[in-house]
Amino acid sequence: MSDAHSKTASSHADRQNAFVDSKLLSVCLGGSAIIVVSGLVQLSFGAYSMSVGQAWRALFDPAVVTDYRWLLNFFFGEDVLHALTGYRTEDLPELSTATHIVWNIRLPRVLAAVVVGMNLAISGAIFQAVTRNELASPFILGVSSGAGLMILLVLTAFSGLTAFLPLIAAAGGALAFLVVYAIAWNNGTSPVRLVLAGVIVGTVFGSVQTAMFVFTDDIAVVQQAISWLNGSLTGVSWEHVRIALPWSAVTVGLAYLSSRQLDVLLLGEETASSLGMSVERIRFALSGVAVLAAAVSIAVAGIVSFVGLIVPHVVRNVVGSDHKQLMIGCLFVGPALMISADVGARLALNPVQLPVGIVTGLIGGPYFLYLMRKKQQLGEL
Amino acid sequence: MATNTSTETQQNRPESTSQNASEPAERKVTATGLRIGYPSADEPVIDGESIAVPDGEVTALIGPNGSGKSTLLKGIARQVSLETGSVLLDGDDIHDLEKKEFARRIGHLSQENVSPGSLTVEDLVYYGRYPHRGFFESVTAEDEAAVDRAISLAGIEHLRGRELDSLSGGQKQLVWIAMALAQETEVLLLDEPTTFLDIHHQLEVMEIVETLRDHSAVTVVLVLHDIEQAARYADHLVALRDGSIYAHGPPTDVLTEALLADVFRIEAHVEYDTDHGEPKITPLGPIHRGSSGDASHDA
Repeated sequence: MSDAHSKTASSHADRQNAFVDSKLLSVCLGGSAIIVVSGLVQLSFGAYSMSVGQAWRALFDPAVVTDYRWLLNFFFGEDVLHALTGYRTEDLPELSTATHIVWNIRLPRVLAAVVVGMNLAISGAIFQAVTRNELASPFILGVSSGAGLMILLVLTAFSGLTAFLPLIAAAGGALAFLVVYAIAWNNGTSPVRLVLAGVIVGTVFGSVQTAMFVFTDDIAVVQQAISWLNGSLTGVSWEHVRIALPWSAVTVGLAYLSSRQLDVLLLGEETASSLGMSVERIRFALSGVAVLAAAVSIAVAGIVSFVGLIVPHVVRNVVGSDHKQLMIGCLFVGPALMISADVGARLALNPVQLPVGIVTGLIGGPYFLYLMRKKQQLGEL
Repeated sequence: MATNTSTETQQNRPESTSQNASEPAERKVTATGLRIGYPSADEPVIDGESIAVPDGEVTALIGPNGSGKSTLLKGIARQVSLETGSVLLDGDDIHDLEKKEFARRIGHLSQENVSPGSLTVEDLVYYGRYPHRGFFESVTAEDEAAVDRAISLAGIEHLRGRELDSLSGGQKQLVWIAMALAQETEVLLLDEPTTFLDIHHQLEVMEIVETLRDHSAVTVVLVLHDIEQAARYADHLVALRDGSIYAHGPPTDVLTEALLADVFRIEAHVEYDTDHGEPKITPLGPIHRGSSGDASHDA
């Protein structure tokens, strides 16, 4: 027996070290390639057109990249810049037009897409494991309906609060999630009860939303609401990026740390509990992480559909159900889908900009049709 | 009513291969006054029962469908909440133990398990180390050794790198047992580990149980449908009927024609093989409710 040990003892450790296996590596490289290409397209094209080379040079313009004051200004805001260095934005050396457009207007939108894509993807991956349902999305537990309701409430009834709309929307999503959990709770929860409670809350909140649309005469408010409810990156600024970046660091870190819990949870509640997991507590905590990630994406872009549903799916098809690998893959494929969809949203009907959620929906539908045709078993994780 | 044989006095069976056979076994798990129900049912499934599991031996729970044997096992495994009663493990109330601490001492393999398809056998067995690992801890040499021992004990070295999807039901069951073995608990609870398996894999599973009985200090409690299998591999039988313990003790004392008639409602012929002391049961037919002509029905 002990001979067998020494022979095989090192195999698992070796495999753990080499966890960046070739499949995962190809997912990451493929995702990165799409991110870079789509990102460059986003930086180059628009009302002020420049060549890809010009955009590239503007992005790495030494005037910004080597000047810590500009970087402070962009990534941490003028207040931090002022507090640390005493400079104001207007004191800084002037930028060329191309650099100004790339850094001030187009880059934040690209970064926002990256952040939103990451958060939606990991949120979806967690919810699919928690509900043990491949067709779960970040919005399955009432998050989108809660956020949507708050958005409409603010836009129609409390227009004074519009400045805080991102935060209020995210809070509404989190609140609806708690309502769903309370409804599902009966000496504990189960995946099915949670999903059903999500449907109940979604239906009721959805009806209230629709009713509020009926009573809104102002077409501008309606359009603004539609753009929020379908997800849009139009008008995203550094302000949004600065809010979302630290939270994303938290959600991504927590998601990565949760991967082993997700793996064990996937074995079924009884087995997980036999292995010593406090299933209810862990499930709530994991859902909390996923809701936080979804809320970050809502605060930046509103309710973007399908990204959180498809991305974990795509990655799982390649790397398998190991959550550590799944999470890493999601961090690349999520942003890739989000940026490329935003290219379509911004440039397809130029100068009219579509909500990006419309494009992700248009991509998501056919993908599921393809899956339905190709796979025999769909739904079970 | 029926033969309620004490577990303590009937211990010294000469034919028993158990290490503790020569002296009365200590009680490993003591459950007293268990009352277990489900929210959906009015009547409790287990109503005020007590059971003592001897240390280091194999105890089998037998009984017809719905007699509460799985529920009793789940009560000991902390999978269902007790309405009343307590379960002591070496004197510690199991409900006072922290969840992972409990899982390091009592392992439980449930009847139905969901296996994520693309996982390898080795990956799954490593999940058995979950209660031994902290939140941030990675795999230690101890974990690796435990997984190797479990895989070798379950006899699945040849499957080690295979994906679960590619295994048969019987092979999967051996892998699940290996996972529970990797937990390295003092007590192992197996819920119908041989049901739905072909005869080869049934014997593979029982061979693991036999190895645990003869070569380890692990206490095994398992639910079995096959009465003869239970009699052959277990040191103790606990027979349940309608949520009550009907009889318990060594197989030779528990398995009688009267018990088969009362608990399983079958008419059968029981013969004891004089060499091994293993009972041979020849089922003759079912006893129908209300059939008055049967003599053994109302023992």
